[in-house]
Amino acid sequence: MTGYGNSRETGNRRSPLEVAKSVLERGRRLHAELEVYVSYGRTLEIRTFGGELEAVVRAEPRGVGIRALAGGRMGYAFTADLSSLGLDRAIAEAGEVLKAADVDPFAGLPDLPERPYPVLAGLWSPEVGATGIESKVRMALQAEAAALAVPGVETVEASVYFDEEERVALVSSRGVEAEAEQSFCLVYTWAHAGEGADRQSGVGFTAGRTPAALDPEGAGREAAEKARALVGGHPCPTGTYAVLFAREVFAALLARIAPALSADAVQKGRSVFAGKIGERLASACFSLRDDGLAVEGPAAGPFDGEGVPRQVTSLFERGVLCSYLYDTRAARRAGSGCRSTGNAARSGYRATPTIAASNLVVEAGRGDLAALVRRVGEGIYVESVIGLHSGINPVSGEISVGVAGRMISGGELGRPVREVTLATDFQRLLGSICEVGGDARWVPLYGSVCTPSVAVESVVVSGR
Amino acid sequence: MSYEGLSPELAGEVLTVALKRGGELAELYVEERSSLSLRLEDGRVEQAVTGVDRGASLRVVRGVTTVFGYVDAVNEADLLGLATELGGSAAGQREAIVVVREAEASGKRRPPEPERRSAHTGARLLHLVDESARAVSREVCQVVASYGESRQRVWIAGSYGALAVDDRYRVIVSVTVTAQRDGLLQTAQDSLAYVGASSSPGEDAVRGLAEDVAKRAVTLLDSRPAPAGRMPVVLANGFGGVLFHEACGHGLEADHVLKQSSVWAGMVGQRVAGEHVFAYDDGSLPGIWGSCSCDDEGVTCGRTVLIEAGVLTGYLTDRLRARRLDLGLTGNGRRQDYRHLPYPRMTNTFIGAGKHKAAELIGDTPYGLYARSFSGGQVNPATGEFVFGVSEAYLIEKGRLTAPVRGATLIGSGPQILLAIDAIADDLEIKAGMCGKEGQSVPVGTGQPTLRIREMTVGGTAA
Repeated sequence: MTGYGNSRETGNRRSPLEVAKSVLERGRRLHAELEVYVSYGRTLEIRTFGGELEAVVRAEPRGVGIRALAGGRMGYAFTADLSSLGLDRAIAEAGEVLKAADVDPFAGLPDLPERPYPVLAGLWSPEVGATGIESKVRMALQAEAAALAVPGVETVEASVYFDEEERVALVSSRGVEAEAEQSFCLVYTWAHAGEGADRQSGVGFTAGRTPAALDPEGAGREAAEKARALVGGHPCPTGTYAVLFAREVFAALLARIAPALSADAVQKGRSVFAGKIGERLASACFSLRDDGLAVEGPAAGPFDGEGVPRQVTSLFERGVLCSYLYDTRAARRAGSGCRSTGNAARSGYRATPTIAASNLVVEAGRGDLAALVRRVGEGIYVESVIGLHSGINPVSGEISVGVAGRMISGGELGRPVREVTLATDFQRLLGSICEVGGDARWVPLYGSVCTPSVAVESVVVSGR
Repeated sequence: MSYEGLSPELAGEVLTVALKRGGELAELYVEERSSLSLRLEDGRVEQAVTGVDRGASLRVVRGVTTVFGYVDAVNEADLLGLATELGGSAAGQREAIVVVREAEASGKRRPPEPERRSAHTGARLLHLVDESARAVSREVCQVVASYGESRQRVWIAGSYGALAVDDRYRVIVSVTVTAQRDGLLQTAQDSLAYVGASSSPGEDAVRGLAEDVAKRAVTLLDSRPAPAGRMPVVLANGFGGVLFHEACGHGLEADHVLKQSSVWAGMVGQRVAGEHVFAYDDGSLPGIWGSCSCDDEGVTCGRTVLIEAGVLTGYLTDRLRARRLDLGLTGNGRRQDYRHLPYPRMTNTFIGAGKHKAAELIGDTPYGLYARSFSGGQVNPATGEFVFGVSEAYLIEKGRLTAPVRGATLIGSGPQILLAIDAIADDLEIKAGMCGKEGQSVPVGTGQPTLRIREMTVGGTAA
């Protein structure tokens, strides 16, 4: 039992599981199937600027989400009011709002899983809560100082230490009863190098499940060096180039491609991957899995957002598309023995579970960055990307984003490039991968992706 | 519920405790929000979600440091407990009694109680969207429609001595249509948004929205790849305003200015665009999506002139940054909800109307791109580099619109692009959007008349 999540209110010091069970009990009178999700969190964010403490933000979000299913209709209600009155009101609202939904032949709550939940060691560390705020402030300051120590760095706009602990419980009238806790810590730094119209930015980060796992100085230096490398850039001529993606950039692209692998998108006719299981869509050097059990990834856990055990699902095996991501509903709709892959995700107690990747892991190849640059020979090393949300359409699969980086010529990194766009689509991108590095890194910034640097043969870049 | 907001007396007591160890600003923010959202897909309302958020947050600013915390409750004991935690209860410290009075305009601002529409009414509108969109063409293969309704009431009191109250009611209907032909998928999206108790979507408006979006998705099936390279671009009115929002608006938010991490820092009084360019932020426009009576720091919303005849005239402030930069308050201190700190944020930001007709701008362009619908954008305020996504576009050839082309990202740098606006039409329109910053999402209006950029980079695939 941990201390966090306990309310300042008296009389509400019940564990998430106790609260969840009491809601299930109180909800019997609805005559509906119920699923209750309870989350207690504790977060701390420390921001430094100019060598001083700029902000301390403490939060203890707590809340309950209730799914109610009756006559094939599903409703959902949430509340942060854990008093008896608040819970009763949410139960009643879930029962009421479902009447506005239509009958869905595939709707249903998952049964009690046949296998026990996996035991994942190290998801939660008592060190997160036990470490004093002073040491956490010091980490943000260390990252800032490390960035400023790099010649050419003008300012550090933000240096942030963030940590969270969360304890969730999930129970249902079908007998599901699950509880888990996890912790996560992150330091990130945003540095600017160069002046005026020539200024460039870089982000560095370090993440782990305990503060001791962090390397704040490394994050600061990373931000500084990324910013400095881009100073003095200009657009390159419009044309077709080989492109080597930095790990953070390829992670961002994959996180935006993943929604097209959702079985829900496939079944509803809004995925370019529909009907293509068993086809070679990507290069043979590309393998991708969804790994809900990899403790290094922030999305790891024993169970998903509807109490189905997390698992490892192979999505691309040597370029061949081998599975989509399923929740309980999509698996029912697929029929013929299809089972949930444990990919019902919750963005919090306010939201219904929806299909999403957990941790995406690209199988590493060989070689460090220098070796990849040599192998690419001529092209562009893309180190930052902008406009992921507006420039990647998960339905049509079209990609057109702004990028910056450095030219690769004669097998070496050369002059910086900025203010150019890169345009392709999901299948052309995956199908033209020619190099996969051995330098895999966990990138927790856009979802959770572990990937090495990846090169593609030819992409249209629009510049001057 | 017995709870009814925040009294000036309780606010004063909480703020007094919060400032026990001193500090230049303490502020209490109390919020109650009820929301309903429905989502239709495959012709079925699959999701029906409702909920209540109720809580309070407190921030105390001491020197350069802001301390912030919140509780998911609004009773006296919780609020005083939070104040003690953030303000410290050490005895013998200096203590100034904070007296809070209800802001004068506050009572008058209270709008009539909104008529809450039932979930069934929302569901009916979504089915109407689905049927109207599918009736446009057999190539329409999927319709996702959503209905969102929220009522947010806030009570904001600060050590500056005032308690402000606002009651914000918003309704939005959004639709995304997917059209398919021979394995090619294309999408189009749009929404109708209403703020204030007196307006809400009617059946005709919803039907018109659905048909328009469906036609756009089908048109895109005939589109060819967008061109790549530099060329003149005519941006349609309405959501084309995302150009100004990204290219300039974010950089005028005073937090970036304070940290000298905006390309616009120190530029007030300087020429940044042609004399025909005027730009505004106005949170007081009735019925426009980003409007409020007051911002999330209790400052009355109004109009701020950002660019006057091409000269940069001001920044957008919140209380903290206005104080640090010695600027006036503009009513732009906004936050997503009580769980977040306020930041300077845009409300409704737009470029003012010009004299030309939209058709003239196209007719006067020998070759270029006409961008009609947009998917949002992003900027790095420190470098001024921005992108925005065009979701529906047409080639301009010899002054006429010709082939439809696929979506593409446009890229540029803020200071250069403002100077490249060479003609502005008279058809100002402001559209609803959601703006993300510091992990917080707030409703904003973005707008402009049809305008032309002399030359910018278009990120297509047809090199």
